[in-house]
Amino acid sequence: MSEVATVVVGWGITFVALATYSTWVVLRGKGIGQELGIGEIEQSDVEKDTSATTDS
Amino acid sequence: MPGANSAAKMTATPVTRVLGVSALAATALMAVLGLIVSPPDVIQGEAVRMLYVHVPSIWIAYGSFALTSTSSVLFLRRSRRRADQGRHYDRLAGSAAEVGVVFTAITLITGMLWGKVTWGTYWQWDARLTTTVLLFVTYLGYLALRRLPAEPTVRSRRAAVMALISFVNVPIVHYSVDWWRTLHQKASLSVGRRPEITGEMYWTLLYSTLAVTILATWLIIHRYRVIRLEELRDEEGLEALIASRLNKDVGSH
Amino acid sequence: MDLTPLHEVEAPSDLRRRVHRRRRWSVLVISAVLIFAMAFITAQGLRNATLFFRNVDEAVEQRSELGERRFRIQGRVIPSSVKSESGLTTFEIVHNCVVASVLHSSDPPELFSSPWIPVVLEGHWIAGEVMTLGGNDSHYFSSDRMLVKHTNEYASANEQRVTEEPPEGFLDQCSFEVPAAAS
Repeated sequence: MSEVATVVVGWGITFVALATYSTWVVLRGKGIGQELGIGEIEQSDVEKDTSATTDS
Repeated sequence: MPGANSAAKMTATPVTRVLGVSALAATALMAVLGLIVSPPDVIQGEAVRMLYVHVPSIWIAYGSFALTSTSSVLFLRRSRRRADQGRHYDRLAGSAAEVGVVFTAITLITGMLWGKVTWGTYWQWDARLTTTVLLFVTYLGYLALRRLPAEPTVRSRRAAVMALISFVNVPIVHYSVDWWRTLHQKASLSVGRRPEITGEMYWTLLYSTLAVTILATWLIIHRYRVIRLEELRDEEGLEALIASRLNKDVGSH
Repeated sequence: MDLTPLHEVEAPSDLRRRVHRRRRWSVLVISAVLIFAMAFITAQGLRNATLFFRNVDEAVEQRSELGERRFRIQGRVIPSSVKSESGLTTFEIVHNCVVASVLHSSDPPELFSSPWIPVVLEGHWIAGEVMTLGGNDSHYFSSDRMLVKHTNEYASANEQRVTEEPPEGFLDQCSFEVPAAAS
């Protein structure tokens, strides 16, 4: 594999891995939210919520 | 459901949305700088561009594992006083460890590819590579331990102890290139040592680290919130199970 | 009639506490054994990795004890010494002013062509008279595997050119002169 091909594959794997993991995290959150019946509340509630609160 | 409203506040907020968009923009700029703007290396040529994903990835992994350890210590201190205290530290430890494992995997893969074009081999069992793969496996074990069926507080305590044991390897990985003879080169940047990287490459490396840090922060926050949702779902499932059992008992009498 | 029990009956909570304490001790002992085992395995693993290669000067000094044993040797390639013929590459490597002649039998990695590049070679000593930059030698190193050990120095190809000069200070203490590479 040439230098350029190696760089393209390396960066490609990195970006695909991070994009896949990020999507999985977001979709899992949405999925469980819907299971718990908070998906719709989440959207409207979040629009109003200006503070980035955690439960801590 | 009492937890539902609070859980809603724990999902995406304007701040994390801004952070997410920033991460996206920052990584796009990182690609432009790392792949187009920064120059090729005098010896390695184009292969040097692997530096901008490989090195920041392991730094983020170190940082994530440090966060896991700190949170684990805080969890152990809090949970000793009251069983339900310090749950958020446990969640933070778990989310940071998972993100750390993702970045360690990226470090290993990009390192192997970079090794093939520079060293002439994908893998060698030298001290740096051996300790890094050990780090990856240990934290995979940590994540597996978090999924073992057990009473939540007991499971979190076990995981916290495992996190502290696993962290011992982080300084070993970092200093392995100084303590032993390795095929892997010495650290690209070290505190108190003049960097051996010229201008544009140096700034691209620092910028890439910043971009990946923003992305990792966004990931850790979101993963934390998903863990909280998973806990809520489990609690709800348990409550439903108890309720159905009680109904059955009442019905049979 | 005496109704006092012969053995004092333990309250259930006391019993539970004792069982817990015993269990905690066993968990501690098992953890200690596991940690010790992990440390032992790591130490054993690292002992192999610690001597990943011998530098040229060490490999020459230990020549009699190494015999025909396979090991890894590390040194910088002297650019003017590189010759390739019918799949074989001959060159000289140097470290701490000690030079060794090498006969290499596989395709070298791409970066091998960079002047003064440090390489790690896998192979063994073979007895045979050779003439090196450092003088006459009774052995040469026969290798079939080459790894390029690049450094942590990065410089822009737009600003710097590849130079045939040895790294700064690398040959300062050496008694021999390095001839310019044949272009």
